[in-house]
Amino acid sequence: MKTFTTRDWVYIAVFGALWGAVEITLGAYLHVIFPPLTDTFLVGVILAGLGAIIALTGRHFVPHTGSVLMIGVVTALLKALSLGGVKIGPMVAILAESLLIEAGLVLGFGPFRYSTQARQPSRWAFALAGALAVSWNFFHKFVMMRLLYGQGFTEVAVKMVKDGSQLLGLDVRYSIAILVVLFVIRLVVGAAAGWLAWDLGGAVRRRLAREG
Amino acid sequence: MTRFEIWDLRLGNGELSPWGYLVFLLWTLLLVGLLPDQRVTLLLGSVLLFALLTGGGGLRPLRRPRFWTLILPALALGPLLLGEKDLAWGWLRLSRAGFWMGLWMALRAFCLTVAFSVALNALSVSEMARLFETVGLKGLGFALGVALNLLPTLQETSEATYHTLRLRGGFRRPWQALKLFLVTVIANALRHSDDVVNAAAARAFEPTLRRGEPVRFQRADGLLAVALLGLGCGFAFWPL
Repeated sequence: MKTFTTRDWVYIAVFGALWGAVEITLGAYLHVIFPPLTDTFLVGVILAGLGAIIALTGRHFVPHTGSVLMIGVVTALLKALSLGGVKIGPMVAILAESLLIEAGLVLGFGPFRYSTQARQPSRWAFALAGALAVSWNFFHKFVMMRLLYGQGFTEVAVKMVKDGSQLLGLDVRYSIAILVVLFVIRLVVGAAAGWLAWDLGGAVRRRLAREG
Repeated sequence: MTRFEIWDLRLGNGELSPWGYLVFLLWTLLLVGLLPDQRVTLLLGSVLLFALLTGGGGLRPLRRPRFWTLILPALALGPLLLGEKDLAWGWLRLSRAGFWMGLWMALRAFCLTVAFSVALNALSVSEMARLFETVGLKGLGFALGVALNLLPTLQETSEATYHTLRLRGGFRRPWQALKLFLVTVIANALRHSDDVVNAAAARAFEPTLRRGEPVRFQRADGLLAVALLGLGCGFAFWPL
């Protein structure tokens, strides 16, 4: 991990604060609208998608390995210190998503590396990183239900299939198809978030350049 | 040392360092994942005892309704939603197994929330910054401080941007409006961050330099770690 300059740390703080603000404000609203025990799919996908957009836009401005992880750590700490009190689930999700974004960007240096800039990820790497980050939402429930409530894989999977069959209008007999569709939706949302983050980073850079 | 001081583990009395609290938090996380259901009560007792010994500040979430909205639904909905229904209470069909599953769920969530609250209650932002510096993440404490101070600025910028877009009819094209909103908020935040960088430079701040003493692992932390290890092994392996 490269040593960050003061400017890098300030940018990390800015994007950490932005992601934190989304988690604290929008997260609270969404959890009120959709109570946490009834709907984690929609809330999780929206928050993870927005988080991936902000973190990956931050990567434009702090182009070093580890910057997104640091943005995630700042966000998780802000969430922990927020007035709403300690919430373990979102903190674990934020850290896992930022780690997966880093992993996606590292993987993106391989087959998806089309950028001409040395060691800079391409738009495809951003999409891959976003897809990996939002895909965490699928596994999050398994991890947290085990950790928080001691539930096993089967119970969580059965509940997920039941919820998914209602959401997608599919019969519960197609359990594998339901799980695959739920996972693919997350991948697509994440990839779109990464794709948008690439555009957003460019747009912000152009705005800053235009205004001097 | 008075009798009270012997039992007072609070950070301010120079007994436990932030490492001690970190050890306690990791211990709770590990045991919540590993212990069989019936033994979670032992863990809960230990977590509550530790919270009391460290000043009781970590028990503050228990006074918030929000805390109970996480715990009570698991307890109340367990017999209704989980397990096979084997009990009739009026028109309600309940499950005994579901009740126990709900109870263990609630106790696990209780343990974790109190453990996190104890750890965060004991660590101020500056303590966290020192802890990060000690483990080699020297700028992270600085970034956390900047981020905390940025939150009100971001809120003002976001509100101003939202109202400007709304008054100009920007929300007739929602996607375009969302993009404009994000670009404006991020660009303003980055512009504001230039002032922060300049202020840090004016104060000769250098993220690679250590500020203040590193957080040392104290004897009390070591004793706590040994006690928790013994207790954890006892909880996991002692035949009940």
